[in-house]
Amino acid sequence: MAYLWLKAFHIAAVMVWIGGLLVSSAAVTAVQASSTTTFAAIRRWERRVTSPAMLLVWILGLALAALADWFPSAWLIVKLVIVLALSALHGMLTGTLRRLADGVDHRPPAVLRLAAPAVVLAVAAVVLLAVVKPFGA
Amino acid sequence: MQRERNRHLRIERDQLRRMRWVSLLEGTTLVVLVFVAVPLKHLGGYPQATAVMGPVHGITFLLYVWMAFQTVAAGGWSAGETSRLLIVAFIPFGGLVNAGMLRRKEVELTARAGC
Repeated sequence: MAYLWLKAFHIAAVMVWIGGLLVSSAAVTAVQASSTTTFAAIRRWERRVTSPAMLLVWILGLALAALADWFPSAWLIVKLVIVLALSALHGMLTGTLRRLADGVDHRPPAVLRLAAPAVVLAVAAVVLLAVVKPFGA
Repeated sequence: MQRERNRHLRIERDQLRRMRWVSLLEGTTLVVLVFVAVPLKHLGGYPQATAVMGPVHGITFLLYVWMAFQTVAAGGWSAGETSRLLIVAFIPFGGLVNAGMLRRKEVELTARAGC
């Protein structure tokens, strides 16, 4: 059991680390691109990399759950709710980026100030649920 | 200045158009799931119907929620319109009804952009 908890925290840490690396890479690339604004470059990254990755996560995740017959499990239902919330947060960030990239004087929703810590907590919870399957496995 | 404004309006109109298509798709898959796949499973003895339509609707539902937040986050939506956009996703035919509201907003933006 301790092994599974260690594994879950390890995967969660890897995801947060790689996510941070991608943000830093996209930001540095965006500043280097002189022909476009920073927001436009980040938005391009979002459209070409992040959104397709999210679609893959949904499709592969549902396929895994169906193949392994995990569906009525409580841990999976809780995990799906968190993924739904993360998808909604992603939608809010994408919509805000669209407005900012467009050069509109747009004040992002106040709730987005909590986006980064919310993502880290959600990722940790999702990985824990998937690896440890603490209830209803 | 006017040209810039029109460009913003066109971008938002295109977003509404995409949202309308996703709304129609989500509404259709929910109707097929509830009124075709579920009766086929329980009355016709074809469990494969829900095994296929369940995940298909799951994906379109997630796509709908993602797109809805994306559309609303850009601003210009009242609390009532936002609630309606999110609540109808859970109701059969709701996505289809919502497409009408999205179409009206789209037409309004087209008129304002003059294109």
